[in-house]
Amino acid sequence: MIVALIPLCHFLLAGLSLAWERGTRGVMLLSLLLDATLVGVLFGQLAGGQAVSVVFGGWGRELGIELAADRFSLVFAPLVLLLGGAVIAYQWRKRLRPYFYVLLHLLFGSVFALLFARDLFNIYVIMELLTLASFLLVGYEKRADQIWASLKYLILASLGMGVYLLGVAIVYYHTGTLNLDLLSAVISSSGDVPQWAVLASSLLVTGVAVKSGIFMFSLWLPAAHATASPAISALLSGLVIKMGVVVLFRLALVFPLSLPLEVLGAVTGLLGIIYAIYTYDLKKMLAFHTLSQIGYLMLGIGIGSEIEIAGSLEYAVGHGLFKGLLFLAAGAAVQATGREDIPGLIARRSRIPLATRVGLLVGTMGIMGIPPLAGFCGKTLLSNGADSVAIQMILFLLSIGTVISFAKLIPLFRLERGPSSPWSKMGAYAILGLPMVLFLPLTRLFLPVELWRESFGTIPFLESLLAVIAGLLIHRFLRKYPLRLPKRIFYLEEAILIILVGFFLVFVLVWLG
Amino acid sequence: MTSINGVTIAIVLFGIGLLGLIIRRDLVIKLLALGLLNGSTILCLVSLNSLPGGVPPIVRGPSTVLYVDPLPQALVLAAIVINFAILALALVFVMLLVERYHTTDTQRLEHEIEREETS
Repeated sequence: MIVALIPLCHFLLAGLSLAWERGTRGVMLLSLLLDATLVGVLFGQLAGGQAVSVVFGGWGRELGIELAADRFSLVFAPLVLLLGGAVIAYQWRKRLRPYFYVLLHLLFGSVFALLFARDLFNIYVIMELLTLASFLLVGYEKRADQIWASLKYLILASLGMGVYLLGVAIVYYHTGTLNLDLLSAVISSSGDVPQWAVLASSLLVTGVAVKSGIFMFSLWLPAAHATASPAISALLSGLVIKMGVVVLFRLALVFPLSLPLEVLGAVTGLLGIIYAIYTYDLKKMLAFHTLSQIGYLMLGIGIGSEIEIAGSLEYAVGHGLFKGLLFLAAGAAVQATGREDIPGLIARRSRIPLATRVGLLVGTMGIMGIPPLAGFCGKTLLSNGADSVAIQMILFLLSIGTVISFAKLIPLFRLERGPSSPWSKMGAYAILGLPMVLFLPLTRLFLPVELWRESFGTIPFLESLLAVIAGLLIHRFLRKYPLRLPKRIFYLEEAILIILVGFFLVFVLVWLG
Repeated sequence: MTSINGVTIAIVLFGIGLLGLIIRRDLVIKLLALGLLNGSTILCLVSLNSLPGGVPPIVRGPSTVLYVDPLPQALVLAAIVINFAILALALVFVMLLVERYHTTDTQRLEHEIEREETS
């Protein structure tokens, strides 16, 4: 029952926040504490070997809505709590309308519901709710560029969900159930993959891919994540995008999706990183970077071995932490200097508070995969588990590309005294930064001891240092040759066309795989 | 004419909606096309699971007649409501844009906003 209680509490509190304006921030904090306790109880139940699942309405699993928690969904709970805490701390001084907290409750409620959902149609409803909440959050400040970015997001996401619903229709017609566990039993019992499953799964994947930050499908993302206010960008990039990946993971357990997910992962990783390297606007670069980092997660869930899934999970949580930190610190830096482009920020770097610079530095180190920090753990597990040389090469290229794109920020990190920043912001950086620094010991909770010892030896250590050095060298060379990449693909019409092309690509890949 | 059924109509409508989304530059018409597209998926979900000769799934006492599967129709209700919410919110945002730029042409909006960003 607890599984249902967590999202329900958030939805009820969303209503309460509308009615009771003065206490919204306190209610938000209390609800996060409540989540923490309930998730703790769930962890305890799972560790005790109890199955945590509930089916509503007495209709049985074929027709009823099932909510269930497993290790995979609970790993994301700490990320939700940390990002939630950091966002509240970051905006402690800011006067926000209660409507903001209503949306935040809706967002967290639907994130938890999506983590526990086990039903294709339930996933559809929750993803739409997530779309609406994040659409309103992107446009919260009602600047024209925000409104346009969020409108594009809404149109593309709605198109994606329409395509997803077609897939649901086909699945229900052929199997008579929408429960993921039962579906996977049906498909594995039929031996060969049936024809309808190819079409249905490519429709479902296309629909979800629009929401999960994959390059060909989520071309709304750079504009939306770069224009939203910093706290919201942190939430969207750190958390909401990952929810699409969670759904893709669940689909990959039912349908044979190895090949398409690996190819999409490579495409989004490499194209995203190329755009990130040649983008000199700080927040936009972070947004492109989100597209490329989704590539890691997709490669991991595409291969699907146990160590790869663990690596994807760790990278998802790690990426949530450091991308959240980077977006928060970048927002503060932009606010302090009044410039958004990286050269402009560097020119006025003495105006950036020291804490903000430290936050940016820690985030950059994390994302580059410098050893004891969060990025290193996920990357190491992913490249250890990769079974083919091609995938290892792609992973290594992605690491180098990350270093190249973040090398632009290095001149910001001169240790000089700047203006002091308020405690609330420092608290926000600490909430996200400390778990990142302590990530390596924390991963022992999730991995068997031998695997942990085996994974984090000297070789990955040297490998990541090699990637950093290579990246820095290539950055020195590349910055002499700036390149203008096509921007038209991010227009609404072009983005829709590219989604269409992407659908055919996925269809062919599912068919081949 | 047995070949014309709900599913073919739904596919045609989906194509028209998609075409409208891509080639029409007017935002309001784009939203209408989006509504058409989402409506067609709903039609597809209902008619794919329909039962020729079936009775509406309202139980009137014990009987052995063939009832249509009620689940898709229940699902569709949720989808219709969601699409309505999306359309309403999108129109509010279009209103905000029109107030500011006095146009619903997507290309012009892209250019105007890009110009403001670079300046």
